Amino acid sequence: MTINRGAIEQLRKAVGADHVVSDPHDLVIFERDASITGSLPDAIVYPFGAEEVAAVVKIARAHGLPVVPRGAGTGLSGGAVTRRGGIALSLARMHRILEIDQAGRTAMVEPGVVNADLSVEAARQGLFYAPDPSSQKACTIGGNAAENSGGPHCLYYGVTTNHIVGMEVVLADGTIHWMGGDDPDRPGLDLLGMLVGSEGTMCVITRILVRLLPIPEAVRTLMAAFPTIETASHAVSSVIGHGIVPAALEMMDDVTVGAVEAHYHAGYPTEAGAVLLVEVDGLTESAEELMVEIRRILEANEAFACRLAAGEAERQLLWAGRKGAIGALGRIKPNYYLHDGVVPRTRLPEVLHSVGEIGHHYRLPVANVFHAGDGNLHPNILFDLREAGVMEKVEKAGEEMLRACIDAGGTLSGEHGIGLEKNAFMPWIFSPDDLDQMHRVKDLLDPKGMLNPGKIFPDPEQQDARLVARSGVAAEARWW
Amino acid sequence: MVDGLGAPATTRPGNAEELAAALKEAAAAGQAVIPVGGGRALGMGNPPERFDLALETVGLDRLVEYSPADLTVTVEAGMRLEALQSELARAGQFLPLDPFGGPGHSVGGLLACGWSGPLRLRYGTARDYLVGLRVALPDGRLARSGGRVVKNVSGYDLNKLHLGALGSLGVIVEASFKVYPKPLSEVTVSFSGGFEDAWAEAERALGLAMAPVALELLQLGGRPKLVGRIAGSEEGTRRIRRELGWEDADGDFWTDHARRGADRWARVSVRRGALAGLLRQLPEPARWVAHPGVGVAHWFDFDDPEQFLAIRRAAEAEGGSVVLLAAPPDFKRAVGAWGRPPAEVDLMRRLRDAFDPGRTLSPGRYLV
Repeated sequence: MTINRGAIEQLRKAVGADHVVSDPHDLVIFERDASITGSLPDAIVYPFGAEEVAAVVKIARAHGLPVVPRGAGTGLSGGAVTRRGGIALSLARMHRILEIDQAGRTAMVEPGVVNADLSVEAARQGLFYAPDPSSQKACTIGGNAAENSGGPHCLYYGVTTNHIVGMEVVLADGTIHWMGGDDPDRPGLDLLGMLVGSEGTMCVITRILVRLLPIPEAVRTLMAAFPTIETASHAVSSVIGHGIVPAALEMMDDVTVGAVEAHYHAGYPTEAGAVLLVEVDGLTESAEELMVEIRRILEANEAFACRLAAGEAERQLLWAGRKGAIGALGRIKPNYYLHDGVVPRTRLPEVLHSVGEIGHHYRLPVANVFHAGDGNLHPNILFDLREAGVMEKVEKAGEEMLRACIDAGGTLSGEHGIGLEKNAFMPWIFSPDDLDQMHRVKDLLDPKGMLNPGKIFPDPEQQDARLVARSGVAAEARWW
Repeated sequence: MVDGLGAPATTRPGNAEELAAALKEAAAAGQAVIPVGGGRALGMGNPPERFDLALETVGLDRLVEYSPADLTVTVEAGMRLEALQSELARAGQFLPLDPFGGPGHSVGGLLACGWSGPLRLRYGTARDYLVGLRVALPDGRLARSGGRVVKNVSGYDLNKLHLGALGSLGVIVEASFKVYPKPLSEVTVSFSGGFEDAWAEAERALGLAMAPVALELLQLGGRPKLVGRIAGSEEGTRRIRRELGWEDADGDFWTDHARRGADRWARVSVRRGALAGLLRQLPEPARWVAHPGVGVAHWFDFDDPEQFLAIRRAAEAEGGSVVLLAAPPDFKRAVGAWGRPPAEVDLMRRLRDAFDPGRTLSPGRYLV
């Protein structure tokens, strides 16, 4: 795809000349997101407000240009990659928290608001925004809504879609719509629910009304070590089996613990085969009572070195290790491929065993750090891109790991999205009729397929979009 | 019978494939099909334009998969809610779906009608715990969305599209849910007083460090009554009960409460902050049950269309709605089941056309 001068001129007129970037050297900045795929846009456009977004969409439509909305570019499934070129539509300038309604417990935000910033701002009024992806210091609410992002605390609180009350969106025809609202049980089809998680393929989100929750009175965080990942998995199932659903239940394997401990000194026992972080919140009495019970269950399942965070500082340290785990893995290898599969919780031990064997087979180190409570695995395949032919092995291993999840009754993605990364695998879990149902909706809302083309659905034009297939060493070296 | 119209024919398929085939055949013949589950919510919607075939889901009543340790269950659509709850109860679990108008709701019917109950205060509605659907479409295809695991972002979330659509895009044949462990401890408490006192108490209860899991304000003759359900750990429940200081009440209240319904009733929905104002406007002697923590009330036994429309206009002026759950056909024709069409009605209509171009499913009943 190339973009003609006329289109550039129109875009400049629509959003201001300073907010259109088309110099090839600058376009490289938006070639990638946090996945292992990449493709150059023809232009980067920074609109401000729904009207400008709508104008850009109309111009793109007139010139047959794809439009790919982009938040912070932290996505792991290639959702923000301009697969067929066109316009990378950055919502970064739209980053205001417009209103926090303390009594109604909602916030109206622009899509470029950073996830963690919203909770910091809401905390002044005793409220917080529950979905907490590990990238929350960078990722945006708009990107979270497009991907239906999760996070450690979604075990108890639910994922992004459970916390979005309304959205203003621009559709592919350039019209602006308000979907949803803060009155319950709205008559009519739930278009809002359908658009959340549609990965930029059906709309551009320009404003979001989110639900906020009161900050719990007490939070208790426990770290527990286990001899093996299997014993830790059984302990997780046992906690749930006792009728306790903690706020978060996170697991790290020995590879992760080693890297994290070297980096953060979070106090994880490095001799452990797996470390669990368990958090409960609510009333002081309840949190105490539940934590005593949880600790009893964990210890009956071979937990050792249990440590209850003594205060907020220690709690933050325990979480810093978990949330920063991916970065810490850079100590082992410079590059990683972070996967995202889901299995029924009870199948975790066998699937993790398979994941380990697959890594072993391809001689690739694998670090597991994941949401054990809801069976959401994140195997990290660690590698060094400078090794010749390594990408092929990495992709092969990743695909086999996903296959293991599906064979255990699971699904392709719990929170990262399908994007470019997994669209070819969609037929593993959805029949042609299932995909046809999704296509009816897509074809209605975006008949020309101009919004984020080549994503979610199997793409007949897709060749190898991965970095390894690109133009050689210089491009690859830029990555890390 | 739907709005006084009897079904000329009835079919009771024994499984999803038979149901899809029957639907396809009826659609090809240009027939109008009304899916029927437990028949408890057939009062919803406008009187049908046509009615040729009642497509009953009673034969699809199997528990497909239940894995207590995974907190997930998959059932066929015709299964009765009570049957599902008793299966779950054997493992100390439950589905927090406690609609009025029971017993006898089918799971699929409930999802199609989008009903919920008092527990939505804590657990949300089916929208929040429905994780997968299988739907028969008028062209005979069986399509799935979501899955059977608790967390899933694979593909479009079309569960949401069918939920509350009154079966006008397709007929739900199977559903998967996230289920919940029963609370470790639970008590029911109540408070009686004038409306303003009761409302103030409701606000106090909702502002506690652990809000009740359900909170109902009832005006059914006599003084308004508040009933709260406190659930959590034993210590926590004890503390909240003490802080509230209401009278202890019988937990059986909730079983009786779920039986509420009427020949004429409607659901009033507004943003939470506007509900009290709307309740004050209901014409005396009004009978209603409200969820003060949610912004929803069920209004019973109204009879004057003008009064009804005045309340609906007041709710709509606040951005809300008043939807009929049942009323005689004449009343429905006078006021309409759904009220002011939503702003995106045109898009909804086009979506419906993409699924049901021949208007086979319940023509005229839904708002598109």
